[in-house]
Amino acid sequence: MKALQLLLAVALGAIFVYASVDKIADPRAFARIVYHYQVIGPSARLGFAPANAVAVALPWIEALTGTLLIVGLWRREAALVSALLLVVFLAAAGSALARGIDIENCGCFTVGGEGRRAGWRLLAEDAAMLAAALFVLGAPARDLRDRAAAAAPAR
Amino acid sequence: MRLRPWRVAAIVVAGIAAGLIWNAVSGRGLALRANAFLREGDSIEEIPAAEAKRRLDAGALFLDARPADFYPLGHITGALSLPEDDFDRAFTRLEAPLRGRFDIVVYCSGFGCEASHLVARRLREKGVAAAVLLDGWPAWTGAGYPTRTGADP
Repeated sequence: MKALQLLLAVALGAIFVYASVDKIADPRAFARIVYHYQVIGPSARLGFAPANAVAVALPWIEALTGTLLIVGLWRREAALVSALLLVVFLAAAGSALARGIDIENCGCFTVGGEGRRAGWRLLAEDAAMLAAALFVLGAPARDLRDRAAAAAPAR
Repeated sequence: MRLRPWRVAAIVVAGIAAGLIWNAVSGRGLALRANAFLREGDSIEEIPAAEAKRRLDAGALFLDARPADFYPLGHITGALSLPEDDFDRAFTRLEAPLRGRFDIVVYCSGFGCEASHLVARRLREKGVAAAVLLDGWPAWTGAGYPTRTGADP
C-alpha cells in the first residue's frame, strides 16, 4: 500500500513536471490554447487578462506540484493540488466537448503545432490520474481514525 | 500525517508567483492584457465590429475564415468563404479578386477562434493586407449587423 502510493506519487509528479516544460518555455503559445477552450475568456467582458494569467501561472503550479510529489516533500498537500488541477482540466475539456468546441491541441504536454485532441480519451486519462492523485492523498477514513486515536485518551 | 491546508495554499501561491516572475524576467513572457493570437512581429490590424460595419458600408471585402460548413448557415453579407483549414485551395480560387484590395476584413467564430488571425497572417505572406474583426461573428451578430444565409455570397 505504502509502496504503491510512493510509486504513483513519483509517476504523477513526473507527468506533471514533463507537462509543464513546454508551456513554461512558450507561455504565448500556451495562452492561445487556453483561448481555444473559451472557458475564462478572452471575451468582450473579461478581456484577455484572465486567460493570459492562467497561461502564465498554471505551468508553474504544475511544475512545483510535480517536483514536490517526486521528492516527497509535502506529498499529501501536493497530491491534493494535483487532484484539484485535474478536476479543473476535466471540467475544461468536458465543457469544451459538451459545447462542441473542437480543440486540436489540448495543451496537455505540447503547445507548438501538433498536439493531442481534447476528447473522450483525454477525459479518461485525466480521470485515471485523478484517481491516482486521490490514492496518494490517502483514504480520508484512515486520516480520521488517526486523528481519533490521537484525541482518545490511552487506556 | 495530517493535511495542512496552508501548505496547499502555499503551493498554489508560490506557483503563481513563480509564473509572474518568470513572465516578467524571462524575455519570453506576454503582456497580460495583450492578445496572444498576435505574434511578435505581426502587424495585423484588429478592428471592432462598429469599424468593420463602417468599412462594409464603404465597400470592404469580408472573408469568412471558419470551416466551409459554417458559411451557408450564416455569414456577413457579401463575405466570401476562405476557410483557414483549406487555405491553399481557397486562396487559389480567390486570388484574383483579393489582389489589389486594401480593404479586406477577416473574421471567424469569436475570441477563442484563431482562424481569422491565421488567415490574415497567411494573406500577408502572399502580399495581401487584411484586418481582423475583433470577437468575430458573435460581435457582428450581437450588434445586429447584416448577415445572410446560403451558399453564394
